[in-house]
Amino acid sequence: MVHYKLHYFGLYARGEPIRQVFALAGQEFEDTRYSMEEWPQHKADMPFGQLPVLEVDGELLPQSMAILRFVGRRFGYAGKTDVEQAQVDAIADQFQDYFNEFKAYFVVAVGFAPGDKEQLFNSVMIPARNKMFQMLSQILRSNGTGFLVGDSVTYADLLLSIHVAGMDGLTPGFANDYPRLLEHRQRVESIPALKHYLETRPFAPF
Amino acid sequence: MFCCGYCTPEEEDSQDATSSKKNNSSLGKKMPMKLYYFDGRGTGEAIRQVFKLAGEDFEDVRFSMDEWPKHKADMPFGQIPVLEVDGMMIPQSAAIGRYVAKKFGLAGKTPTDQAWVDACVDQFKDHYTEINKWYYTALGFANHGDKESLYKSVYEPARDKFYDFLQKRLKKNGSGFLVENSATWADLLIADHMHTILQLKPDTLQRFPEMLAFKKRVEELPQIKKWIATRPKTPF
Repeated sequence: MVHYKLHYFGLYARGEPIRQVFALAGQEFEDTRYSMEEWPQHKADMPFGQLPVLEVDGELLPQSMAILRFVGRRFGYAGKTDVEQAQVDAIADQFQDYFNEFKAYFVVAVGFAPGDKEQLFNSVMIPARNKMFQMLSQILRSNGTGFLVGDSVTYADLLLSIHVAGMDGLTPGFANDYPRLLEHRQRVESIPALKHYLETRPFAPF
Repeated sequence: MFCCGYCTPEEEDSQDATSSKKNNSSLGKKMPMKLYYFDGRGTGEAIRQVFKLAGEDFEDVRFSMDEWPKHKADMPFGQIPVLEVDGMMIPQSAAIGRYVAKKFGLAGKTPTDQAWVDACVDQFKDHYTEINKWYYTALGFANHGDKESLYKSVYEPARDKFYDFLQKRLKKNGSGFLVENSATWADLLIADHMHTILQLKPDTLQRFPEMLAFKKRVEELPQIKKWIATRPKTPF
């Protein structure tokens, strides 16, 4: 029996897609959440000094996307063929680029840095969102299955549904111009294992 | 959407329209994979090196800056590198690197080794993002301010943090490479990046002798040594 332990903060952010793969797979895992006070004492134990880290039978794996891909592939939520797996990876990487693009707005919006939230929303967030959401809507349209890659849910879909849900929480109506993405979120969140998980998970601000 | 883009959505149902435009000939001969990138190393070089290390053929398509705008709309995310495999277009350098490396056994042998290779690549990507303001200014792609002060405020702290971790990792792994006993694409990616860094600032990695030895070790791999000697010479 493999033992999985996720080390992260009490946030969705970079940990939630990993948690949702475990939920989809019906796989138990230890969901360790460090408070901001505790974290400095554990930093030196982590391979790259950061979280999340997934501990698999004692081995510590860092980097959120490496972990997500590892559990995604292990449990069958990463694409069925090697080409599909590469496509899922590509979307995940495009998400990382997108997150970097709007980071300047995000840190102000959640109160990590001072700044003009309104101005940054218009100058930074909206252009980045429109570019990404248009591409993703197009991918959903041409794939035609209701999912981003192949004919079933992958961690690319989780990255998108979590992002749409999170941003809608921060700015209601965030994805309203992109009905395909709203529909996609509903579809992913209604998967029974996820529906149950979403109803029972601990709340986090983001 | 990820297909080569020859067929428009309205043609999707038409077998004749798509099959006549597919790359695969009716003789069933496998076309070599095709890499689209700029005429430079950048984020495409590690992919090329995976093919070279594996001794595998590929079509090395290089767009000039003038040609590139005409092809942008053909690419799934409007960017390059893109790998074309049997008519399917795969974007994003790390997704391509992993796909090709996996095919040729250069991505790590076990699932946890593969996760470690991925983690090193992603840590490098974070580092690359962190140093971007100095790096792009130093290469002449952007102007974020005074090169020298960006070097001190942006590059030096990021460099120390990143290479400290990598040296720790090399020491722990003990083989001279980042994961397992032989080179993986993570080693190729980081060694190539170091090449550009040292072109910009020859003395900047003096504090990291194991990293300099690591770079030399990767560059001395026979297939890589040969490629470096014969590849097009480009500034980035």
